[in-house]
Amino acid sequence: MRKLLVLLVVALCTLTIFAQQAYNPEWLIADVEGGQRGGTLYLATTSGPKTLNTYWAQETSSSIIINQGDVSLLGSDFYGQPTQPSLAKDWGVERTEDGGTLYWFEMREGVRWSDGHPLTVDDVIFTWEKIIVPDLTADGNDVYMDSEGNLPELTVEGNRIMFKYPTVFRFGLETVGGFAIMPKHVLEDKVTDAETFQSTWTVEQIDQLVVGGPFKVTEYIEGVRVVLERNPYYFERSKDGVQLPYLDRIVFEIVTDTNVARLRFEAGEIDMHGPQAKDFPALRAQADEKGWNVIVGPATAGSNFVAFNFNAADPVHREWFRNDNFRKAVAYAFDKQTIIETLYNGLGVPVYGPRTNSSAFYNPEIENLGYRYSLVTAQRLLREGGFTWNNRGQLVDWNGNVVEFELNTNGENVMRNEIAVILVDSLAKLGIKVNYRPVQFNAMVQRMYSENWDAIIIGLVGGDDPGWSTNVWLLDGGLHFWNWSPEVMDWVDPNEYFVHPAEKRIDEIMRVQRSILDKDELQKLWDEWQMLISENQILVYTISQNYLNMHKNTLHLYPVEKYGTINPYGYSYSPGLWKIEYAWKE
Amino acid sequence: MLKYIVRRLILAIPVLLGVSVISFFVMQLAPGDFLDTYRINPNISREKIQELETLYGLDKNPVTQYFLWLGNILQGDWGYSFVYKIDVWQVLLRRLEATLLLGVTTFIFTWGIGIPLGITAALHQYKFTDQALSTIGLIGISIPNFFFALLWLMWAANTGIFPIGGMLSREFANFPWYKQIGDFFWHVAGPVITLGTASLAGTMRIMRGQMLDEMNQDYAEFARAKGMPSDVVIYKHTLRNAINPVITSLGFSLSAILGGALITEYVFSWPGLGSLMRDAIFQQDIYLVMANLLLQGILLIVGNLIADILLAASDPRVRLRMSA
Repeated sequence: MRKLLVLLVVALCTLTIFAQQAYNPEWLIADVEGGQRGGTLYLATTSGPKTLNTYWAQETSSSIIINQGDVSLLGSDFYGQPTQPSLAKDWGVERTEDGGTLYWFEMREGVRWSDGHPLTVDDVIFTWEKIIVPDLTADGNDVYMDSEGNLPELTVEGNRIMFKYPTVFRFGLETVGGFAIMPKHVLEDKVTDAETFQSTWTVEQIDQLVVGGPFKVTEYIEGVRVVLERNPYYFERSKDGVQLPYLDRIVFEIVTDTNVARLRFEAGEIDMHGPQAKDFPALRAQADEKGWNVIVGPATAGSNFVAFNFNAADPVHREWFRNDNFRKAVAYAFDKQTIIETLYNGLGVPVYGPRTNSSAFYNPEIENLGYRYSLVTAQRLLREGGFTWNNRGQLVDWNGNVVEFELNTNGENVMRNEIAVILVDSLAKLGIKVNYRPVQFNAMVQRMYSENWDAIIIGLVGGDDPGWSTNVWLLDGGLHFWNWSPEVMDWVDPNEYFVHPAEKRIDEIMRVQRSILDKDELQKLWDEWQMLISENQILVYTISQNYLNMHKNTLHLYPVEKYGTINPYGYSYSPGLWKIEYAWKE
Repeated sequence: MLKYIVRRLILAIPVLLGVSVISFFVMQLAPGDFLDTYRINPNISREKIQELETLYGLDKNPVTQYFLWLGNILQGDWGYSFVYKIDVWQVLLRRLEATLLLGVTTFIFTWGIGIPLGITAALHQYKFTDQALSTIGLIGISIPNFFFALLWLMWAANTGIFPIGGMLSREFANFPWYKQIGDFFWHVAGPVITLGTASLAGTMRIMRGQMLDEMNQDYAEFARAKGMPSDVVIYKHTLRNAINPVITSLGFSLSAILGGALITEYVFSWPGLGSLMRDAIFQQDIYLVMANLLLQGILLIVGNLIADILLAASDPRVRLRMSA
């Protein structure tokens, strides 16, 4: 009997000791305090996720949800730069003696996955060696390669992870510091090949999901809603010791129609709304009465531009489009300010180059190039370029050909459609006839890959760092679509191929930038890059709308609390989702 | 009868094959493919896109693709969705329930109200009731679904009587079963009335016209002259004859139910097949589109068969022809 009692006491003691050994990792202390735990954040999204596998998600509808659970070695700051600690508590870059670059990360100890399993260096190695190196992802592993196409060598010493590149490579913090780390204990047998891996963590496999980030998807009712719940083992804590995230749950209600999303926000069913510029004044008028916080943020990063085909099938058209004065005249004739005033209620900014003023790499000098609306300047430029007008007011070139071309864009994109209509109207004032033909998205992409187009309005998205768009700007890049190189597209006649001097310099910049570690030196290159594009109007940039956000004032968003605006590097329709683990509700 | 059904089902095979050939090649005629979104992603290299083309079998020519697909189907494999990376049937099944719920409710609504109203209108020809019903019906048919749905939602948002779109309340999972059923009707009311008012007038007009035709036939006159009570003439004889064309249209209704109601689904955020197909077509998720089209084909065939059998049950002449 006494033996049993002793045993019982011992057992009880062990249990208490275990219970006291609660989760206590090397906490990441966040720059927030005073928030309240609990509550559910209701958001609207236009479409449900297609997959929950972060390495195969291509649509924002998926990534906006998955990213809430992703975790990597480094986090990004307000400007989207990888400068924040995350799983790594300390990190650095070193030049090695043999001319290479070494990125090292000191990993936090005692961290766990959402299922309680330890999250260690092994998971990082697993993700790198079994997923990224063998190229099991949709994006491929080119971004991790240096200019000579080498992947770094991974070595580990205790908690120190080191990626060593044989050459100088500047993207390491973004690439090796930024990839999403996957749980080895869950996915070990799913990484045999790309086909198996892509059908892992589909929307049917929510119960298998294990995350390291703040929120994990726990429920998805097809087409109705996605529920994310807090990861009880998330390793971040506020300054006053509250484990983050503050919120217990995020619910994404799937509301396909944006008008209806607005109705639901007005009815108080949704906490945050990214209104369209046309709805903005009407909503703002209700803000005080309804208790909403209204934010007009910086310009959205991606801007639409007009590209002219330097390799158009018609040799006459080709000549026009390669003529600098022609493109510059288009830029002058395009009244950006009026579009902003009339279509966007003044909630936009004119864009003159490849980066908008919200970018960390923006060169404000391009504004001084003077591309403001002026038909007179446009006419002068055209005359200098060798064009004249016939007696019917039509613009004719040096061989007497009447200037007329086709303009395409994907018509379902409302903004591009509106820009196209105004462009047609503006160019008519110069005597240029533009035949606007909106096409479906796929048709537009197919055209871009062929010679059968004249002008296209499109926007491309990528990272903020211009270095991420090498594919677009290198002369032989895979997306240098307005002037395909004969090496890339066999239908381009090498004898007819034309390289603009500015494009040649841009190509050089894009090649050297990868190996420049010095920030100032790099920014000089980006300044030059923006000037080259803008000065020559290689692509004619248009306008960018401001980020617009409204949310209940009982909802506290971290960027607003701290910076007075929302983070421009979140998602286009709800940029406030950046640092969602800091958001809290009264 | 059984022989007839078997014969009809065998005849359906070439029809389905034809449907699959035409839809597959029409999809191929459309420019581009599933990988177009990848093609304008600056982070994806050309080599990677070629790799993905091989992975998804998009590098083969359309005829080869078609026969590979057909071969797989004969082995019971309908292919997988490029977007969802799961079996196409799993994707369709995730949406089927919502579509069926909406379709069946709308069907009951239109037929359950349309037929009696059509009869009432016929019985009161040219009187006030008839004219009032016709007017209401015409209003229903002439307001576009899109507009009606938005009006409904704005009204719902202002009054709070009905939900602002969606299919389930937030607390749905915690409701007892009877409340769950109530919740369903609360949510389905808007889409059903939007869709219902559009087709109600049609059903009503057909029923009214047929009823009037039959009531003026010699046999009806004769029965009344013989002294048969008017109710018996109407409900036992004329109604039975008048309902045949309405039954025939049932065949199409069954397929239409699953075809979904794209615009209404879109505005009400109703997670049915209609909006799924819209996305699938835009993204060129070919196997998903193909599976859905074939499903529709099968339903159209089954629907027509059911309609014919029902017709045989109500019309002895048809029965005779079938057994011949």
